[in-house]
Amino acid sequence: MATTLTSGAGTARAPRLNRKVLVAGLAIALPLLAVLVANLGRDPHSVRSPLVGRPAPPFRLVPVGGGAPVALASLRGKPVVINFWATWCVPCFQEHAALVASARTLTGVQFLGIVYEDDEARTGEFLRERGTSYPSLMDKDGRTAIAYGVFGVPETFFIDPQGRIVEKYVGALDRDAILSLLSLARGGGR
Amino acid sequence: MVPTLGRTLILLALLAASAGAIVGFATGARPNAAGWRWARRLAYAFAAFMALANLTMEYALLTHDFSVSYVAHVGSRSVPTWVSIVSLWSSLEGSILFWGLVMGVYVAVATWRKADDHPEYMPYAVGVWLACGAFFSFLLAGPAQPFATIPNPALDGPGPNPLLQNHYLMVIHPPFLYSGYVGMTIPFGLASASLLVGRLGNDFIRPLRNFLLVSWIFLTCAIVLGGWWAYEVLGWGGYWAWDPVENASFLPWLTATAALHSALLVERKGVLKGWTVILVLATYLLTILGTFMTRSGVFNSVHSFTQSAIGPTILAFLAAALLFSLVLLALRVDSLGSDGRLETGPSRDAMFLVQNLLFVLFTFTVLLGTVFPLVVEAVRGVQMSVGRPYFDKMSVPIGLALLFVMGVGPALPWGRATRQQLRGALLPPLLGACVLAAAGFVLGARNVWTLLSLLFGGFTAQVTLSEMFLPVRQRMRTRGEGLAEAFRQAQARGRRRFGAYVVHAGAVVVIAAIAVSSTMGSSKEVQLNRGETTTLGAYELTFVGAEQVSEPHRDSVRARVEIRKNGRSLGTLFPRMSTYENQREPIGSPAVHTGLTEDLYLSIHNIDGAAGTVGLLVLVNPMVSWIWIATALMALGGLVALVPPLRGATAAAAAPGTSAVAMEGSS
Amino acid sequence: MTLAACALSALLALARTAATSPLSTESRPAAEPRGQPPSGKLLDQRTDEIGALLRCPVCQGLSVADSPSTMARNMKAEVREKLAAGYDQEQILADFERSYGEFVRLEPPMRGVNWLVWFGPAGMLLAGGAVVVWALRRPPRPGEEKAAPAPRRDPDPPSRDTVPADPRLAAAVRRVRMLAYGWPDGTSPKERS
Repeated sequence: MATTLTSGAGTARAPRLNRKVLVAGLAIALPLLAVLVANLGRDPHSVRSPLVGRPAPPFRLVPVGGGAPVALASLRGKPVVINFWATWCVPCFQEHAALVASARTLTGVQFLGIVYEDDEARTGEFLRERGTSYPSLMDKDGRTAIAYGVFGVPETFFIDPQGRIVEKYVGALDRDAILSLLSLARGGGR
Repeated sequence: MVPTLGRTLILLALLAASAGAIVGFATGARPNAAGWRWARRLAYAFAAFMALANLTMEYALLTHDFSVSYVAHVGSRSVPTWVSIVSLWSSLEGSILFWGLVMGVYVAVATWRKADDHPEYMPYAVGVWLACGAFFSFLLAGPAQPFATIPNPALDGPGPNPLLQNHYLMVIHPPFLYSGYVGMTIPFGLASASLLVGRLGNDFIRPLRNFLLVSWIFLTCAIVLGGWWAYEVLGWGGYWAWDPVENASFLPWLTATAALHSALLVERKGVLKGWTVILVLATYLLTILGTFMTRSGVFNSVHSFTQSAIGPTILAFLAAALLFSLVLLALRVDSLGSDGRLETGPSRDAMFLVQNLLFVLFTFTVLLGTVFPLVVEAVRGVQMSVGRPYFDKMSVPIGLALLFVMGVGPALPWGRATRQQLRGALLPPLLGACVLAAAGFVLGARNVWTLLSLLFGGFTAQVTLSEMFLPVRQRMRTRGEGLAEAFRQAQARGRRRFGAYVVHAGAVVVIAAIAVSSTMGSSKEVQLNRGETTTLGAYELTFVGAEQVSEPHRDSVRARVEIRKNGRSLGTLFPRMSTYENQREPIGSPAVHTGLTEDLYLSIHNIDGAAGTVGLLVLVNPMVSWIWIATALMALGGLVALVPPLRGATAAAAAPGTSAVAMEGSS
Repeated sequence: MTLAACALSALLALARTAATSPLSTESRPAAEPRGQPPSGKLLDQRTDEIGALLRCPVCQGLSVADSPSTMARNMKAEVREKLAAGYDQEQILADFERSYGEFVRLEPPMRGVNWLVWFGPAGMLLAGGAVVVWALRRPPRPGEEKAAPAPRRDPDPPSRDTVPADPRLAAAVRRVRMLAYGWPDGTSPKERS
């Protein structure tokens, strides 16, 4: 039936290297290992914002509790800090005090809050209880959050006087971070 | 005391494995009885220490001993007992401990079964197994230490991830997965041994294939159980999202299936020895890659454990194992040689090669897609996604091609086929193809891919059924045996063949069910007030109201939805949203009414008990149950193929008059 | 949905997916809608299709079409609005990409090194196919030629209608023919007539 070739058996012990196998194997293994090593320590869940350095997306939103709508375009000429937040977000609660204090002292800067996926009544009550020094706007259909590429809260955008986003900060802010990022915005961005 | 005991047991396991690896390799290089005896003893010792360490951890979990770091991590007094038991494998360190247990069991059983056979191969195999065991013991002793002592233990713990407490499938999916995954270590050791010895005879390919098959059966079940779990727990209505961790379990399955088939050619014709060994090695390496993908935190996945120092350690082991395999292959693959030649031209041999090519292509594609975001990050510095649409687009043609080859291959004879034989083999099954495709069309299938899969499915189903019962028909015709007797006799002699065709039959149903369930379902999103009814297809759903349910470990709001189909009542479904103690966001649990032809699937988007409103996602998913049923059939077929033929049968086959029947029966 | 609409939308979907991997350069803000606004059931279907290509930013790997989260539902509403306004698929996807980055597209667009993930499998298929073809066409190596003796010219070549002279061999041949062809006694129809 089948023609029999001499099988290698244990006699062929001379360590002759099969180059093809080695090269093919290394061609697959080395790039794979390199890619994995290069990505060690990277957090795949933190996504960098493509909006940094670009004009901030325009919006026109009504403040919590009603009132005249606020448009981003009307704030040209001074640095703007936009903080996306919600009452159900613990780090937002932590940074609230720092933001309110900064807004009081830094009068040349416009601070704005945009409420993310929250109830207007609850937000109003929170602001009344904790006090605030800058308006918070309702983003009822979530479009502004989408336009700004928000992944969650809190996220804060620092915008320079010409309307460009100079930095996006993810997480709870403290006073030092606010000041250092504002200096970027005031310097007209990079 | 318990943490110290646990740490000691792990250190002992590490010692036993390291010593055993050294003894195993030394005995392989210089065979001697004492060395082999010690290698076996150390293998059993490794298994025993791992088992004891696992028992210790279960004891700690059940007694809520929060001085043990892992128990402090995942233990809780308020969860049901079964959750405490399965917490062993719910989180990072515990799951590696469980890995060690499964490995210990496999190594012990394999060593015991082969204690007296293949003396020139086995010490090497044990050496390789224990080297792998030593690595995992090292992980447990160092980076993934589950038995660290907590100096001031808390009174209670957070409990395991709530998603893992939601369903009983949590109990069986991980053990099956580990039995499949870790089991691949055994064929890896056997294949390495054959390279180290420089020979792969027919006598050794059989245990290699059998152990590979055992792990394959577990892995097949595990992959589908994972899909079933996702379906019943996650709430989006699907069962496979091409998530990196899902792909991690799928990749070794693909190469293992290819290896099982090419091993058949090794046994039959003595060809493709080197290629089979390459596939087996690749399968194990893919399991290590898979465990890296799951545990390193480098991949964006819904299943992955949190980031830890384990990642670099596993990567180092992967690199070492890769290097070991490549060097061994480069030096020794030629010495395996081949005892025959592959048939050229249209024949079953050629289709085996085509099938292997398709499986390797599938593996390459899934691996490329899964790793690609990392490549782009490294090269372009941009974060991007390779998601379900890409994988679906790539896998559908490959899957269909495999379905077709699964039919053409067994239809063709082993030798070079004449044109007449080709016609006789390939034309009749077209009948089955057209029948199934027409049936699908009549029932509403319009998607071109679905119709193609029904066409190929019918073709392959007919070939498979025909081949499955070919020995039976022949016995009935030539020996005049009745159906039952012929079946029994054919089973006694050709169980492996029969089992293989049962697996193929199951695979055809799985692919057809996937095709139909993906394209012929219907869905509806609806907001309902208390008492309101909505319809989807033949189903009528009435939202009766929202109810609060309090359990020790969670509070739930569930929707009482009454179902009617074609006017007949089907009962009540309770999709719910549960809030667990330590989680801010509530987690939804879908409710599924499982039927033979279709499932009715309900998932809550939002629910307000006070206002009496619910936002429901309603899905009708056809043929989903068939995926689970057919997978069980595949596992059954694999088990059938594992059972060895009766002694009497092989003796009778040697008699001259029956030689022709035996030849046909074993094909 | 009528059969014709089904077929048409299937064809359109196929064409669109074929065209979705265009060589798109860095997308500029597109002010004018490019496509024809669909309506009714077609709008729903197109919304689902495009939703399936967008990644829900707050979920793990789920598409906007599959995810129940508020963010996903808002995004889906935006897709629907843009579709109704007449924007086509590539414009809508580019819009979300401007806000979230390439991460939000579940199917890699054709740019930079992304060609590798689209053409890699095809390349592998060709390479592998070449290997298989080579393995199956391999001419016999010198050893095999020597092992197989040169065929002797047989004055009486065997055929299906004759049996060998040797009686035991003939019996075995008849038996094989009985099993293989189903001929009773192993005699061919020609022999019998």
